[in-house]
Amino acid sequence: MIGVQIESLSRHFGALPVLRDISMEVQPGEFTVLLGPSGCGKSTLLASIAGLDDLQGGRILFDSADVSDLEPAERNIGMVFQSYALYPTMTVRQNLSFGLEVAKTSKADIQERVTWAAQLLQIEPLLDRKPSQLSGGQRQRVAIGRALVRKTNLFLFDEPLSNLDAKLRTEMRVEIKELHRRLGATFIYVTHDQVEAMTLATRIAIMQGGRIEQYATPEDVYERPASLFVASFIGAPPMNLLPATLKQTSHGVVAFTGDHTVSLKGYPFKIAPADGQPIVIGIRPENILIDGNVAPTLRAEVVVVEPLGADTLVWVDCAANRMAVRTHPKEAKGLSGSIGLSFKVENLSIFSKDSGLRL
Amino acid sequence: MTMLQTAIPSAVPRRARKHRPAAAIGRLGLYGFLVLAALFFAIPLIIMVSTSLKTVEEIRTGSIFMLPQALDFSAWAKAWSSACIGRQCEGIRGGLWNSILIMVPSTALSVLISALNGYALSLWRIRHAGLLLSALMVGAFIPYQVMIYPLVRMSSTIGIYGSIPAVVLVHVLFGLPILTLIFRNFYSALPEELIKAARVDGAGFFRIFFRIVLPMSTNVIIVALILSVTGVWNDYLLSLIFAGRENLPMTVELASLVSTRIGVPEYNVNMAATIITALPPLLLYLFSGRYFVRGITAGAVKG
Repeated sequence: MIGVQIESLSRHFGALPVLRDISMEVQPGEFTVLLGPSGCGKSTLLASIAGLDDLQGGRILFDSADVSDLEPAERNIGMVFQSYALYPTMTVRQNLSFGLEVAKTSKADIQERVTWAAQLLQIEPLLDRKPSQLSGGQRQRVAIGRALVRKTNLFLFDEPLSNLDAKLRTEMRVEIKELHRRLGATFIYVTHDQVEAMTLATRIAIMQGGRIEQYATPEDVYERPASLFVASFIGAPPMNLLPATLKQTSHGVVAFTGDHTVSLKGYPFKIAPADGQPIVIGIRPENILIDGNVAPTLRAEVVVVEPLGADTLVWVDCAANRMAVRTHPKEAKGLSGSIGLSFKVENLSIFSKDSGLRL
Repeated sequence: MTMLQTAIPSAVPRRARKHRPAAAIGRLGLYGFLVLAALFFAIPLIIMVSTSLKTVEEIRTGSIFMLPQALDFSAWAKAWSSACIGRQCEGIRGGLWNSILIMVPSTALSVLISALNGYALSLWRIRHAGLLLSALMVGAFIPYQVMIYPLVRMSSTIGIYGSIPAVVLVHVLFGLPILTLIFRNFYSALPEELIKAARVDGAGFFRIFFRIVLPMSTNVIIVALILSVTGVWNDYLLSLIFAGRENLPMTVELASLVSTRIGVPEYNVNMAATIITALPPLLLYLFSGRYFVRGITAGAVKG
């Protein structure tokens, strides 16, 4: 197992900065997912960890040994690429053994490692085929196999599932998670698919504009997003966001949004809130209750009801803000017109409107 | 009302389109043009073959378009082994061997080096790769007559002037720009991740080239070989200048043969000698034309 430390890493292509001062630490045995929209720098960060590009600043350490100036092969990693990048003129067996041959491994050892990886990935019957004779899913397995045969404890995946169809993607996702459990190795995995990130990761690093917005467990990222970007990126539909203004009153802190007053009493502010500060209130669709009481927290107009099967999304307009409410299908039946909504303070996320950071 | 009535039938799509007479005429015109174009290129070759099979007497009295009265291969035999080039009457067979001696190392070296160049320029991040490429382009378009004198001086300074190595070196130099471009364009279509994967596997520049990239290049190598072989084989000027008197290739021998006159000009022998000289590249095209078209479309032009 290898721990990876990244210290104030920066990368730029010409004048264009791609990674800005990134620091993070991947614990040994962890499954870290780098998640973000296209162009956020996640693949560049992975390529830097692999040693495929030169750094412009910062250091990368594997188990506190500086590897910043080492070639990819000297870093001893296994890497799986988005396009699989199998060597087209070689058979599957040759694809798997190429790296070992280069490393001057003995024939018997190569045989043993290849057989082991092929068994693990169930690609034994394919060993004598060329990549062009394989299906997408099989190629993906071979690409993973090529990373596995190297005796290493750090595996890098660059969007490995994005070329597969939806069904196969779900299957391979489960297999990759199973593989991580069996090998007990450190995995770093790049994706733009939040479902992959949430299901696979022990910790997710959400990236935006060359920076890491939040690096935390999937639960934390989902329930306590560190910034407005994370709040609106994670979740489908994303977190509801209501612009509001903070006020200190005798009853504690309250937020004014439109005509409504929301009490924030008991919210664990990290920074003491200032009077009159513009904020954004975030609340997950499933944390909003449809409230039949006389005095609900919010009143909203039902726009559309979307039954999804297991639950139902109710889209409402509240003070010019479109919000989604996730509820039980039974409860959603026959909803229309003005309804009352309420929620618990501990389920809220409050962000500063100016900095976009969690308060 | 009448307008409406006439408008309706034309709005109905016609199904019998392929049976219309206009289409048949168009087809005819198309084939007519293709046949004409083919004849345009084929007639000189046909005349060469037919003339080489005539006797001197027949050529002198008949029209150039007449077919030979009998198949007479004696002109071919003479051209091959006993026609006079200057004072030596040994035909052009000596030139064939020289041509091969010049062609094989020239094409092998220029294809190998330009494949390496193209691979380096397209798949490795090289500083100022764009600038290097433009320099190569300039090299491909400067008329080479400009560089002959300096090259003569340079090769004589290093002491190889007038030998096979000199002419091979010059051929390789002049072949590099265009061949490098062809390889570069072919290789830029390869996925970059392939190289990255090989680097993670620990392979270096040359190992990636020989184990992974070169085995994928069959088509483009054939294209490059055809271009290089025909270029080197058909060359006259460079061989005349650099090869030295002992090593003159077929093309130079042919020119001397045609200009050597003893008595009546033997057009049949000249034609036969010309065909023999032109045969190798012709056969190459015939047997690898398929690859040529495929290779050109697969990368050489696409990039």
